[in-house]
Amino acid sequence: MSILEARELRRSFATTTGVLRRRTDPVEAVRGVSFHIDRGEVFGLLGPNGAGKTTTIKMLITLLLPTSGSATILGHDVVAEPRAVRRRIGYVFGGDRGLYERLSALDNLRYFAELYAVPAREQAARIGELLEMVGLAGRERERVEGFSRGMRQRLHIARGLLHDPELLFLDEPSIGIDPVGARELRQTISGLREQGKTILLTTHYMFEADELCDRIAVITRGELVATGTPAELKARVSAGSVLEVEVFDGLGDRLSVVEALPGVRSATVTTGETSQTLVVSIDAGADVTGATLDALHGIRVGRVVSRQPTLEDAYVELVGS
Amino acid sequence: MPMRPGASASGGASLLAAFRVVFVGGVISFRALFNWLNPYIYVPTMLIAPVFQILLFAYVGRSAGVADDGFYVIGNAVQYASIPCLFAMANTIAGERFTQTLGIVLSTPVNRVALFVGRSLPVVANGWFVAMVALFVGGRVLGVDLPLRVWPGIALCVVVASASCTGLGLLQASIALRVRSTAVLSNIVFGVLLVFCGTNVALDALPAWMAGVGRVLPLTHAIEGARRVAGGAGLGEVAGLLAREAALGVAFTVAGLLALRYVEGQSRRHATLELQ
Ligand SMILES: Nc1ncnc2c1ncn2[C@@H]1O[C@H](COP(=O)(O)OP(=O)(O)OP(=O)(O)O)[C@@H](O)[C@H]1O
Ligand SMILES: [Mg+2]
Repeated sequence: MSILEARELRRSFATTTGVLRRRTDPVEAVRGVSFHIDRGEVFGLLGPNGAGKTTTIKMLITLLLPTSGSATILGHDVVAEPRAVRRRIGYVFGGDRGLYERLSALDNLRYFAELYAVPAREQAARIGELLEMVGLAGRERERVEGFSRGMRQRLHIARGLLHDPELLFLDEPSIGIDPVGARELRQTISGLREQGKTILLTTHYMFEADELCDRIAVITRGELVATGTPAELKARVSAGSVLEVEVFDGLGDRLSVVEALPGVRSATVTTGETSQTLVVSIDAGADVTGATLDALHGIRVGRVVSRQPTLEDAYVELVGS
Repeated sequence: MPMRPGASASGGASLLAAFRVVFVGGVISFRALFNWLNPYIYVPTMLIAPVFQILLFAYVGRSAGVADDGFYVIGNAVQYASIPCLFAMANTIAGERFTQTLGIVLSTPVNRVALFVGRSLPVVANGWFVAMVALFVGGRVLGVDLPLRVWPGIALCVVVASASCTGLGLLQASIALRVRSTAVLSNIVFGVLLVFCGTNVALDALPAWMAGVGRVLPLTHAIEGARRVAGGAGLGEVAGLLAREAALGVAFTVAGLLALRYVEGQSRRHATLELQ
């Protein structure tokens, strides 16, 4: 059963440029987005900066009205019944803002427990449970201004869960969190899924999306370009495999030579600290390793790896064109 | 986790929840957002500055020979309640922009009237406290003796003054939220109240149009009432003044709540608030 249904959501913004001769240009941030999320699913919304992810979320959590289109959450229309929708959803965004700095973690939670109408006699137990779950038990009486980014993020998540919402929106929850913290956060999110929560997640980390999401929608320039399970996305975009060649010199015009080789779908370069990596996406069944190395003749080459495509490969192909 | 509040909240439960938002939530948000709750800021701006204002006008009054010290002590002490009422109200509403919590607060189902009325109650209490301290200290410094029996009546006048001024503060806070500045507006409104409310120049002595404006602003009637109580009038004699003051307070509060509702609606339509 669908918990969330978005139908042809659109949203444009009027942006003003110029001080004296003001001109208003409409920006189409979201251009006809439709998807649904089933109960208990973790649904990933992936896309480059400015693709329209946050704008889509804001329409779903009733902070923005769609310019056109509609959406329902647990049967309630996000435009016509905002209060019913708000009672049933939680909203958490990444970064270290969005908390009352001068209050303790406990008072931050108490305040939102009141705003979400959590009955007084259930509050203490509920808050204690959540502090335990996000690993802040014992620190709850400290002021938030002294919290690290990871602690703030975990406090945000506890806040978003106070009223036990059925659907949780997580907009880049792992932004700016160290690897250990990010791993703990993924465990927390997995735990929520096991409890049966439905989650809409945005992230720029593909391995995170691959690990957590049951289904993913990729959005670019306000439009969905693909929807499916991580496996389907990988299979659908890169039917073949990927060859990675580490190179220590500039590639010059060799990149276009490699791109032109038969069996090569695309070739891109990513720059690392001491070397660059040439990433060649290959048609199914083709073997271009020899030809690629020939094309790189005279350039210092390091590690050569042939591997299966990752979600990141799929993503780069989807949003790259 | 076998609970689902809100989803099944009956009428009684949601009324109780709204009460808690007003009384419990109000106090927490005041502590969260009122930036001056720090002794190094609070004592100078809230407890010492009003005494200077009282002294300044009392001495100007003495040298001009227009009115006695009591006139200035009461006028300026009650009028000074507008500093906490205007600034704290702007802080606790428009200050959400700096904490970037506004989007989160507006994504909750909380009843907006309970939310904002709750935020104004601690502001009223604080305004009352500031004015009463100013009255007491200012009176002491200038040797104005207010007999013990008039204090309860004056305290009541100050409650009404502080409440109605907070109503104006709420309206002003809705504008501050939208124009992204909290202090500028509060300063201007403070100046207007200083001049138009009969604080230092009796309404009769002001040009007619200014007196007319003063009569639809908060504070004017309460200051007048407090002066009469100090002069020996019974509460019955100032009931009309206080009723008018209270009515203005209600009108400004309703206007403020409507303005906040409008600002939220506009933001949903045109993304005019920065909601993270
Ligand atoms: N309030 C606004 N006024 C004008 N333009 C806006 C507003 N909010 C968003 N936009 C524009 O809408 C587009 C989509 O923005 P949005 O924040 O939804 O992107 P996003 O996918 O969340 O990006 P990111 O990954 O950087 O968070 C961008 O071009 C952005 O500039
Ligand atoms: Mg975003």
